[in-house]
Amino acid sequence: MGPQIQLESMSLTLGRVEILKPVTALFQPRQLHAIVGPNGAGKTSLMRCVLGLMPHKGEIRCVWPGKATPVAYVPQQTAFEPALPVTVEEFMLTTLTRLPVQLLRRTRARMRVIELLRRVGLEHKGHLQLGSLSGGERQRLMFAQALERDSLFWCLDEPMTGLDTDAQALINQEISLLRRQGATLLVIHHDTDWVRRYADQVWLIDGGLKRAGSADAVLQLNLTPLRDEMEAYA
Amino acid sequence: MDSLRQTALMLQELGWLPAMFQYAFLTNALVAACMIGPLLGALGPLVVVKRLAFFSEAVGHAALTGVAIGILLGEPATEPLVSLFCFCTLFALLLHWIKSRTSIPYDALVGVFLSFSIALGAALILYVAKKVNVHILENVLFGSILTVKDRDLLVLASICAAAVLLIIRGSNQALLASLLPELARTRGINLRLYDYLFILMIALVTVASVKVVGAILVGALLLIPATSARLISRTGREFFWLSVLFSTVSCLLGVLLPMAGAMPVPSGAAIVIIASGGFVLALIIRTWRSFA
Repeated sequence: MGPQIQLESMSLTLGRVEILKPVTALFQPRQLHAIVGPNGAGKTSLMRCVLGLMPHKGEIRCVWPGKATPVAYVPQQTAFEPALPVTVEEFMLTTLTRLPVQLLRRTRARMRVIELLRRVGLEHKGHLQLGSLSGGERQRLMFAQALERDSLFWCLDEPMTGLDTDAQALINQEISLLRRQGATLLVIHHDTDWVRRYADQVWLIDGGLKRAGSADAVLQLNLTPLRDEMEAYA
Repeated sequence: MDSLRQTALMLQELGWLPAMFQYAFLTNALVAACMIGPLLGALGPLVVVKRLAFFSEAVGHAALTGVAIGILLGEPATEPLVSLFCFCTLFALLLHWIKSRTSIPYDALVGVFLSFSIALGAALILYVAKKVNVHILENVLFGSILTVKDRDLLVLASICAAAVLLIIRGSNQALLASLLPELARTRGINLRLYDYLFILMIALVTVASVKVVGAILVGALLLIPATSARLISRTGREFFWLSVLFSTVSCLLGVLLPMAGAMPVPSGAAIVIIASGGFVLALIIRTWRSFA
């Protein structure tokens, strides 16, 4: 089962700008927690704090009921240098093995890469350079590298951006499977329909925690302009 | 090394090797080239991927000041290695430290450091000229195959071993950290540690390559073979091995051709000119491919 993540008055200030007012929250395992809010509300900053990527005040406790697994992270909208000679397969190998991809041919690791790419529908794109991937393909690749972690704690920052309907179905299927396996899932999402359909808990962030609860409770009680903005973005 | 030199001499006497192999220093220089070539070629792709080309060039140019300080402090004019290493390392660490604590664009910061170190070196050279013949400095700055000794080869071999270890242990992590730093951090990769290790390695390589390539031209050899390889590579594997190949061939030809043609060209200059020829060749191949 995934971990229980507890935020105790967690706040974030960069320079003199207060990004997040103190947030207290409890992310339970076996649940998909949707983090919603308008642009610039501090959703990604909150996720980055949870991941330990940003210096914050307050406390973040991560309690694993069993053996801890590494965190799986799907970052927001990645970009690669267009002409960099690194293939999709090589990128995946860098995440799988410690020994340099340039020096050794590792059949077992390669088989694992092919399997992971197949799960996100990129099995025929392994030979392509990273820079030649479309936005949706990059997003699938990010999901593939996260799958490699065999994790029960997932942080996904707008994972559906740029994905076509087939890819969205694939990712939704994987997310549902992870939830059934007991994972703790933190997902930043702008699509209110998706949030209503998949989220167990919704956390509305706008410079701090504004509201939390079930999707219907948070999104219906939500201020109309905010919802309009989110839906326009989606 | 003695047995290698004797073998080369014997083969030359038998007529299997050209007459220039009668000189022991050539064997030393070739052994050094066989280590420096792959070393610089292997580090080059990381320099290019991490966009540290200008940085490595700046570290090489800082050598001018390092050499001048070394001579003024009483180190031998032909090999002021301790000062060279200390100054290059200090220069690189300070530059990187400031970069990590300010929002100044990296190229601007490197430009400031580069200009300052060259100006300081030029100022100090005037004082150095009073102590030693300035022409001795040419060997340090642009390389000379005459100066490679057994002890230098031992130092070079040790630095090569350290570099191989770093590449084997850290090249995947460094690549991932260059492509997606945040993702690398979530995977427990210590970006700062790798950055500083890499900087230290560039400073070490600069010192190791002084005898053959010359302090000022090391940066060029870290950059040109890797850039040439990048032009015609389709995969990371090709990128790495082509860079090693270009660099090694440039080093070997840069040592051999001036000797064969009895040209009074510093080995470092010859190596970089040949590497630049490789870049032109790669450019032609790339252009030809795009039309094919």
